[in-house]
Amino acid sequence: MKRLKPGKDNKEERMNFVEYWANYVRTHPDKVWSRQQNILINSMMKNAKNSKLTPKEYLKIKGEL
Amino acid sequence: MKFIDKKTIQIDKDINELDRLVIKFIRILEKHTIYVIVSGYVAILLGRSRTTEDVDIFIQELSKENFRKLYTDLQNSGFWCLNGENVAELYEYLIEGLAVRFALENQTIPNFEVKFARKLLDKESFNDTLTAITKIGKIRISSLERQIAFKRYFLKSDKDIEDASHIEKLFKKNIDNRRVYEYKKMIENEAAKTRKRQ
Repeated sequence: MKRLKPGKDNKEERMNFVEYWANYVRTHPDKVWSRQQNILINSMMKNAKNSKLTPKEYLKIKGEL
Repeated sequence: MKFIDKKTIQIDKDINELDRLVIKFIRILEKHTIYVIVSGYVAILLGRSRTTEDVDIFIQELSKENFRKLYTDLQNSGFWCLNGENVAELYEYLIEGLAVRFALENQTIPNFEVKFARKLLDKESFNDTLTAITKIGKIRISSLERQIAFKRYFLKSDKDIEDASHIEKLFKKNIDNRRVYEYKKMIENEAAKTRKRQ
């Protein structure tokens, strides 16, 4: 598997990581990459339960109110 | 993760809490209408290393009465609508082409951004859907070519371009670049029409 290449700036750095991760997902079993992805997602889901953001505040942020 | 035929992707991933919520929501939706999931959650389902606060869903247009039944079913299953409780008003939003958002009761995020597919391009997303088979059920998503084109040529934010690149790199052998180009042209034509109307 190709090593992660450092980027010249933030944009290139991010894009290099996207390429690296897509290659990782492609070459590893679903169970392996998903366990790593799930740490991120389950943590967001846990935080969401404790969020105090009201629908009104949220829709305002989204420009839908 | 692999294509088991042209229209079906098998994903043997460990299921996360967002996947569970999505499955819970679409099992209700599909009792009332046809749905297709588009945009960010599709990239996430396909392994992208990010999360999302909303899941974008097109549904086929419903009558007011049938929308009321869907709303009641969602409410009875523990969801609330962030835009309010007046069903007639929510239906008007949908008819105007706006989205209404549903989340688990007393939560704001993550939420489901539900829209009637009213524009031609949106309606066409039902014609070339893919089925993702997960350990806890099937999820209907829009085609990879459509995802790539919309994210790269319509939405265009850094996040969307990264999502498009992820899908392209992951499924390079399965992607029909002619179809991506056709979608690009359709998006450009639609944008030109909108500009003319303004």
